Amino acid sequence: MKSGKFWAWLTFGLGAAYFIIPLLATLEFAMRMRRGTYSFDAFAVVFGDPRFQQTFGYSVMAAIFTILLGVLIVVPTAYWIRLRMPHIRPIVEFVTLLPLVIPAIVIVFGYIRMYGSNSPLPFLASARGTDALLVIGYAILALPYMYRAVDTGLRTIDVRTLTEAAQILGAGWATIITRLILPNVLIAVLSGAFLTFAIVIGEFTMASLLNRPAFGPYLQNIGANRAYEPAALAVITFAVTWGCMSVIQMLARFAPKSANRPD
Amino acid sequence: MTETYLSIQGVQKSFGSTTVVRDFNLDVGRGEFISFLGPSGCGKTTMLRMVAGFEEPSAGKIFVGGKDVTNLKPNQRKVGMVFQAYALFPNLTVAQNIAFGLRVAGTPKAESAQRVQEMLKLISLPHLGDRYPYQLSGGQQQRVALARALAPKPRLLLLDEPLSALDAKVRVSLREEIRSIQKELGITTIFVTHDQEEALSISDRIVVMNNGRADQAGTPFEIYNRPATRFVANFVGTLNVLEARILDAEAGSVDVAGQTLALHRDLAPKRNGDTISLALRPEAVSLGRTGERTGALDATIADVHFLGSVIRVRTKVGDSTVSLDTFNDPTMPPPVSGAPAELAFAPRDLMVLAD
Repeated sequence: MKSGKFWAWLTFGLGAAYFIIPLLATLEFAMRMRRGTYSFDAFAVVFGDPRFQQTFGYSVMAAIFTILLGVLIVVPTAYWIRLRMPHIRPIVEFVTLLPLVIPAIVIVFGYIRMYGSNSPLPFLASARGTDALLVIGYAILALPYMYRAVDTGLRTIDVRTLTEAAQILGAGWATIITRLILPNVLIAVLSGAFLTFAIVIGEFTMASLLNRPAFGPYLQNIGANRAYEPAALAVITFAVTWGCMSVIQMLARFAPKSANRPD
Repeated sequence: MTETYLSIQGVQKSFGSTTVVRDFNLDVGRGEFISFLGPSGCGKTTMLRMVAGFEEPSAGKIFVGGKDVTNLKPNQRKVGMVFQAYALFPNLTVAQNIAFGLRVAGTPKAESAQRVQEMLKLISLPHLGDRYPYQLSGGQQQRVALARALAPKPRLLLLDEPLSALDAKVRVSLREEIRSIQKELGITTIFVTHDQEEALSISDRIVVMNNGRADQAGTPFEIYNRPATRFVANFVGTLNVLEARILDAEAGSVDVAGQTLALHRDLAPKRNGDTISLALRPEAVSLGRTGERTGALDATIADVHFLGSVIRVRTKVGDSTVSLDTFNDPTMPPPVSGAPAELAFAPRDLMVLAD
């Protein structure tokens, strides 16, 4: 083996070990719930816990609504900026990056002050309103990922010419976006969607401070009070995230083909 | 020209302080094939985009079939357009691309399917309906783009440099195909190009544009043989330009490099002593007087290029260069560099260029 290849494999091995060993250690710890033997008891306890099902179900629903809201906001915005207002793109990119530098706790305290029961928009006056506010908050947190994913997708097609070709054939904006633009950036939208899903599933700060029964606070609660179950939950969360990534790859195979992505 | 179908009246377009189209006027007859010809940045595409509705004129009006369409949106104009970059929808098959306009218009499925088949047959690709655009060659993609533009039976067909992205061979065959389809359907067509050969070969009329203005509109024959301005003369075809000093404006007598030439035409409003530019097409010049070619200038052969069937000769008349092509005659030796020659031409072929 050439020395270059040896060092490449060694670096790869060290990198892989850095990620995999903690994961294996967590899995190994989670399987030691029964004394003297390995078992999946901790996983059985977690899956059998009605709070797990309830909070996981809640977070999945929140994630779906967040994705829908994100797509509704980001796709037309990114499209319009590419088509008509390319000069404001740096400003929009800066705005979409803000959630990365402003801590979620600051955003949620802002929400609590702005949308309390005495505000003209009293989101926090009801459970449904708070759920809506949580979804809006999640959409903001996911904005950097969703915007970049969609914008990158739009870069691969000639947005202006395709729009004009559709317009001259009689199409209106709704037809253009739903039948031409969205199908052609579907992979990008899906990438953004699954990143959003992964963020929402594990999010703690917003859900906790808005007092919603989400999976993040449940994870924290279990982690603070149990020994083996948190490890099992960590592995489950990791599996869910990786599952999302795999789904992106699978769906990419069924996406519309183009000159940029022929096979 | 038949009855006016498209009328462009006094159209102007400015982007900020830059005016890209100035006082553009044109009447196009039903079924006519018009080419906008000019160099990059002359305003031809902007003018086409105003007809399509993608740009709004800063001044002037555009009428189609007698109806003012100046303020109509592109999707309300019933105009078909083919783009330089094909602009086929990558997520749709060829058949779905062609059916797109019909579907948007709410055409019943059976009728739409029949029309798609008609269009596929028209572009000679009846078996490629299920393919995706990426599976087609550039020429095939552009033919599909043409079929897609024609499927909804538009009132006008606009072609924005549709052949520019294709290789030379495909370009020639496709331009002939476009022209034959246009004639078959009798659709009024505007074709934008910067390629003079393309414009000359397929147009009923050509509008030569320069710096936002239509310098001249006429048949290919008129544009080539009777260019109205120096720009048109230079842009269309190869041209020999000779600087001359007027000796007698009324009689049309001029001095070219110390030799007197009779143009047999009144050169007013120019006056005696003024300088003018005279132009001659290479094919209008021969070595030695023949038939109508009674006008003559003494020249010196500068160089000779043997091109097989044709011999290209460059001669010097004073400081000016005059090029001409002669057929290769195997019984005659080719001209020799440095030898004296007599350049002959018909005086009426000598064009006086306006500025």
